[in-house]
Amino acid sequence: MTIKKGLSYKEAISEIEGILQQIENDEPDVDQLSEKVKRLSVLVTWCREKLHQTEEEIEKILKDIEKS
Amino acid sequence: MTERLSLSELNGAVKKVLASNFTTPVWVVGEISEINIHSNGHCYLTLIEKGDSEDRIVAQARATIWSYTFRMLRPFFETTTGQQLTDGIKVLLQVSVEFHEMYGFSLNVRNIDPTYTLGAQALKRREIIRRLTDDGVITMNKELELPLVPQKIAIISSPSAAGYEDFMEQLANNSNGYKFYTKLFPAVMQGNQAEQSIVNALDRIYPHEDFFDVVVMIRGGGSQVDLSCFDNYNIAYHITQFPLPVLTGIGHEKDDSIADLVAHTRLKTPTAVAEFILDGVAAFEVRMNLMQQETISLIENRMEEEKELLEELTDELSRLVRDQLGNKKKELREHSWRFQQEIKLTLQHSEHRIGKILQRAGFLVDRYFLVHRQKIDKARNILDVKIPGSVQGRMEILDHYIEKCNHLAVKRIDHEKHRIELAGQKAILSDPANILKKGYSITTVRGKLVKEVALLINEEVLKTRFYDGNVLSKIIEIKPGKS
Repeated sequence: MTIKKGLSYKEAISEIEGILQQIENDEPDVDQLSEKVKRLSVLVTWCREKLHQTEEEIEKILKDIEKS
Repeated sequence: MTERLSLSELNGAVKKVLASNFTTPVWVVGEISEINIHSNGHCYLTLIEKGDSEDRIVAQARATIWSYTFRMLRPFFETTTGQQLTDGIKVLLQVSVEFHEMYGFSLNVRNIDPTYTLGAQALKRREIIRRLTDDGVITMNKELELPLVPQKIAIISSPSAAGYEDFMEQLANNSNGYKFYTKLFPAVMQGNQAEQSIVNALDRIYPHEDFFDVVVMIRGGGSQVDLSCFDNYNIAYHITQFPLPVLTGIGHEKDDSIADLVAHTRLKTPTAVAEFILDGVAAFEVRMNLMQQETISLIENRMEEEKELLEELTDELSRLVRDQLGNKKKELREHSWRFQQEIKLTLQHSEHRIGKILQRAGFLVDRYFLVHRQKIDKARNILDVKIPGSVQGRMEILDHYIEKCNHLAVKRIDHEKHRIELAGQKAILSDPANILKKGYSITTVRGKLVKEVALLINEEVLKTRFYDGNVLSKIIEIKPGKS
C-alpha cells in the first residue's frame, strides 16, 4: 500500500473521510476492516510526516527559485 | 531713472501686500508631497497640486506646522481618518499666508479638516472599486480555494520590515512544530514606488504558481502605517488576477484598503496572517486526528459487535448440537426399541417356523420309523420262518449240558454235606458258653466288645457277661499297661 507521488493533503483527508464513512455505513466486512485500518494509518502517517518533517525535494526547489 | 529697491525692501513690500490681502487665514486644498517632522517638534511640509493627468505638478508651496499646533493637529487627524498624516494624501488645511524677507513664501498651518481627506480617499476608493466591479474581477481571488495546509508560502514584504520578522518568527516557532517553506519576494511597501514594486513581486511569483500554496502580502505593524498605496487600482487588479490565494496583513486598524478588499483573506497584521495559517494547519491536523480516532473507535465497536455475534452464534451452535444430540439419542432409543421388538417378532416367527419344521420332522421321522419298522417286521417274519430249525439243534445241545450240570451239582452237594457235619462237631467244642464255663467273661461297653482299656472312659458303665448271668459295673480307675 503506497502513497502516490504528488498526493495532496486534500486528497489524503478525503480518502481518510471516505474510509470513515464506509466504516460508519458498515460497508467493509471484517476482513476488509484491517485493510482499511492499514490504509488509514499509512495516510495519517504520511500527513503527519509531511506536516512536521522537512522534505529535501521541496527545499531544493525553493533554492532553485531563489537563484532564478 | 528707474527706482531701485533693495531685496529686503522688495521682500518687505511683498510681505506688506500679502499681509494686507490675506488678513485672515484661508482654507486651502493640497496634496502632501513631502513631510518632515523636526526634532524640535515643528513639522515642515511641501504641498503640491497635480494637474488632470496626475503626473504633472501645477502648483507647489511650503508649509509649516509649529510644534504647539502640530501636537494637537496630528492626533486629531490620525484618529479621525485612521491614517497617518503623511505624503501622498490630500488635505484641507487652514493656513495663514506668510512671507518672510529671508525665507520667502510659506503657509502657516493653523487647522486641518480630516473629513476632506476622508472624503477624497473615499471618493478615490469608490472609483477604484467601481472599476474593479465593472471589470468583473473584484471577487476573483476570493473564489480561489485556499489549500487545507498552506505550507509553501510566497511572501511579498520589505526585507527589513519588523512585520516580516514577526511573521517569520511566528511560523518558525509554532508550538505544533509544523514545517513551512517560505520565500521572500522583496518589495517596497509604501510611497510612490510601492505600486510598481508590488506588481513586480507578483509577476516574479507567477511562474512558480504550481509550487506555492499561497501568497502573503505583509507590512510592518504599528501606527506608522500608510494605506494609501494599497488603495491602488493596479495592485488590486493584479491581486484579483493572481492564480494563488493572496493573504494580506498590511497592518492597520480601521478601514480596509482596496488590496485587503480584493485579497482572498484580509488580516490585520503579519502576526495575524501567521496565526491564520497556523490555525488552518492545526485545524487540518485536528480534523485528521479526530477522523482517525473516530474510525478506530468505530472499528473497535465493530469488532466488539462481531465478537458478541460470534459468541452468540457459538452458543446457538452448541445449543443446536445439544438439541440435535438429544434428538438423535431419542431416535436411537426408539430405533433400538423397535429393533428389539422386531427381533422378538422375528424370533417368535422363527420359533413358530422351527416348531412347525420340528413337527414336520417328527412326522417325517415317525413315518420313517413306521416304514422301517414295517420293513423290520417283514424281515422278522422272514426270520421266524427261517430260524426255528437251527434253534432246535441248539436246544438239544443245551439239554445235554443241563443234564451234565445236574449230575455235577449232586456230587458236590454230597461232598459239602459231609464237610458240614465235621465242622459241626468242631464248633460244639469251641462254643463261648463252654469257654465261659471254664471261667472266662466277656465285657462290653456301649454294646461293643472291650478288647483294650484305651477306649474306656472313667465312670462309664461296663457290662460283663458270665456263664450264668450279667454284671453292670462302673469304672473307678483305668490303669493302662500290662497287669
